[in-house]
Amino acid sequence: MHYTRLAAAVLGAFVATGASAQTSTDELYEKAKAEGEVTWYVAQFTTSIAEDIGQDFTNAYPGVNVNVIRATGQVVYSRLAQDLRNGVAQADVFSGSDQTHLISLKEEGNLLQFSPENGPKLRKPYLDFEPDGYWYTTSANPTVMAYNTDLVTAEEAPTNWTGLVDPKWKGKVAMSHPGFSGSTGSWAVLMRRLYGDEFFEQLEANDPLIGRSLSDPPNTLVAGERAIGIGTLATVTRLKNAGNPIEIIYPEDGAKLTLSGTAIPANAPHPNAAQLFVNYLLSERASDLMVTYGLQPMRPEVAPPPGAKAIDEINLASPTQDELINGVQPVIELWRRVFGA
Amino acid sequence: MTDNVTPYVGSAAGNRGYMRRFLNLEPINLLWALLFLVLIVLVVGPIGFLIKVSFQEGGNGSFTLDNYLEAYGRWRYLQALINSCLLGACTALLCVIFAVPMAWAVSRTNMPAKWFAWASVLGAFILPPYLTSIGWILIAGPNSGWLNEGWRWLTGAETPLFNIYSFFGIVLMIALNAFPFIFLFTKAGLDMISTEMEEAAAILGSPTWYTSLKITLPLVWPSILGGIIIVFLESIALFGVPAILGIPARINLVTTQLFQFFGYPFKMEVAAAYAMPLLLITISLIWVQRLLLNRKGFVTQTGKGGERRELDIGKWKWVLLAWCGFVGALAMYLPGYTMVVASFSEAWGKGMSASNLTLANYYDVLFVSRLTQEAIVNSFYFAGVAACGALTIALCVAYVVTRKLVPFANVLAFLCMAPFVIPGIVLAIGFYAAYAPPPLGLYGTSAIIIVAFIARFLPISYGTAAAGMRSINPEMEEAVRVLGGGRLTAIRYVVAPLLKKTLFAGFLLVFIPATRELSAAIFLVGPSSRVMSVLIFDMTEEGRFEAVAAIGCIILVTTTFFVWLGFKLVGRDFMMRTNH
Repeated sequence: MHYTRLAAAVLGAFVATGASAQTSTDELYEKAKAEGEVTWYVAQFTTSIAEDIGQDFTNAYPGVNVNVIRATGQVVYSRLAQDLRNGVAQADVFSGSDQTHLISLKEEGNLLQFSPENGPKLRKPYLDFEPDGYWYTTSANPTVMAYNTDLVTAEEAPTNWTGLVDPKWKGKVAMSHPGFSGSTGSWAVLMRRLYGDEFFEQLEANDPLIGRSLSDPPNTLVAGERAIGIGTLATVTRLKNAGNPIEIIYPEDGAKLTLSGTAIPANAPHPNAAQLFVNYLLSERASDLMVTYGLQPMRPEVAPPPGAKAIDEINLASPTQDELINGVQPVIELWRRVFGA
Repeated sequence: MTDNVTPYVGSAAGNRGYMRRFLNLEPINLLWALLFLVLIVLVVGPIGFLIKVSFQEGGNGSFTLDNYLEAYGRWRYLQALINSCLLGACTALLCVIFAVPMAWAVSRTNMPAKWFAWASVLGAFILPPYLTSIGWILIAGPNSGWLNEGWRWLTGAETPLFNIYSFFGIVLMIALNAFPFIFLFTKAGLDMISTEMEEAAAILGSPTWYTSLKITLPLVWPSILGGIIIVFLESIALFGVPAILGIPARINLVTTQLFQFFGYPFKMEVAAAYAMPLLLITISLIWVQRLLLNRKGFVTQTGKGGERRELDIGKWKWVLLAWCGFVGALAMYLPGYTMVVASFSEAWGKGMSASNLTLANYYDVLFVSRLTQEAIVNSFYFAGVAACGALTIALCVAYVVTRKLVPFANVLAFLCMAPFVIPGIVLAIGFYAAYAPPPLGLYGTSAIIIVAFIARFLPISYGTAAAGMRSINPEMEEAVRVLGGGRLTAIRYVVAPLLKKTLFAGFLLVFIPATRELSAAIFLVGPSSRVMSVLIFDMTEEGRFEAVAAIGCIILVTTTFFVWLGFKLVGRDFMMRTNH
């Protein structure tokens, strides 16, 4: 185990020195073509979006295919951790949804340092997420609330997070599980800071339906199974723009925003294709595509999606990095204790 | 007879016999050694490693008891164990309520259209439990399921009629899939008793219902209990239903807890320790079941000698027929129909209408999404290879055992049957512990899944192969050998052609369940080796029920096709000859 990590770190250092001298995209593409594929562990996007992004990448760079492995944040990281533990190199690109995973991967020497051409071209707030170049911001997807417009009027709809624990919504709340979903984990850290442990007890008393992914509750709302719930701004926006009976609530106490980065494992079997792919994720072309799914664009050239507020118009509340590092696992444990599963 | 021809048997041969055995090595002895090795890899390895890692510290491998302390040191984890046992017991009870009247009706009464009951049983076999659950989410989601919407509309009630996300929901889903076990066991028991006793009671003036309760039921009780045990074990080892319904409903069960240990932080060693009760319960209950079924205490159960007459139960036959239909509707027709409708819908919440009709789900699943294409191919490929592998091993072992070609052949038979007492999810953890890490490093490969499937379904293959082999008289092979042909010639030209049907049945009996296996696959799949069942499980987390339903329907159609093929080529009862 230690040996593997050490080996990975040494290998990483070698590759890093090789790559830190900025390779031009064309050169990278030539090498990537020889590698032929890139395996993408992803939690930031839903399966169908991730597949479409992968397909668009292949259209842009024929000859390099993308294998999409989509799971929730905790699950996808557990998979990568198992890979490392078993000394197996499978993941080329890792797009998790829990920052703390990236931090511990970096500290253990399991990430590749690289500098893609598009790295410095992102929107301002996303630029200095990781100054050392171990990962780059590929998703800024605020967690908001939503309600089903057939079941709830705009006046009735709650205006902030405490609406979730209001007994009048008993049996009508859709949630996701922090033990599976990375974004829900950081959301729970925020709730614990704002409202304490009682928040979870009151939430439990409200008998919510708990999905595994943060993409699940909005679908539950659209289906009319529940009336109010949480979700990512992108999913809710996309469902709304598609004509479904769903509306966004920007909580007055602040939508939760944690940036999600994309990294390359030090032992990536296709390091060049991986760098090419991350560079593509940071491109205008990818931002254009992401916007059609209600996602926030990473590039300043691309306008935010219609039907949703732009990030800088939203009242945001975010847990700090320290809060996340020290808070995610304990809050998952708290959740499991309160909810019994 | 065999002993005269084959010099290798006959214990009187003594030392010189052993010497001769080493000098005249027939290929069959090499085969024995090879089979033994294969079975060590398939059965002994995983279980050995499972036990070993449960006593090891993660990372450095030194001896520790901490895994057990951690696995049983939290009330929540113990609660999951209790929940699972409760689940098993409730499911078994519900299965008895479903199946015993059906079995009685088919075996003892003049109920018309008995095929109706068989259709229900078959339907339950065809629809895997996780698909039944998905169908039922659409039926009985507390607010959006049409059952509850209708109920509210009819009665104006606030609360749903039936909430699928509940303990009872999980019980019902598993029972609807497992009741065939009790049906088959009970029916087999009933078929063995003659009606003379019942007639005697009738002559003495006992009403039919009283006779059935006081005389018939006690006679078949051991068979019912045998079925109950199987259902109990199936329920506690199931992963799909608890994960799909239990996580939203916040009900923790042993299998979902194991899944959690396989999450982050990854604790395989704790999972191994936590899997032990599942293994021990299974082993001991199967043992109890064997005792029950082998007990020949009832003189009435002496084969089909006695006279059997169908009971005339008057109008009640229609009640029973309706019951069979009702169970079938719950198990198959309702969830199957709902799933088909959802698979052709744009949004399942919108209900049935022309504007909601679409083929896009199928188009996406079959032609656009590489994930689903890969998973479909993988499922059939793994199932096919596993079925061939299991069958080959089973046939070789069955041949060696039934022809008594080598000493200690029964060890091989025992090893072949051993996975029967290992729950699929436990077996998967064992395979992970044994072969995923270096030096073998099979983690995430297709090989580890195929091998795990072979081990999981080996008992079924062996049951079929041994039965087929026993039906062939060795004299025919002996004739070949007398005429100078070697054993391999005899196998090639005599045994193999005679076994065709057995081979085919054996293949399908593994192939069909392997295409839908979830419990054994969930911990073993890697990026490029995902199968349909796992993909369905992954997709339920995004709430995309339309696409899930489309994949479900593909599973449904292919399973039905292969079952039909089995009926056509092997015979009507090929699915029902369970060797449990």
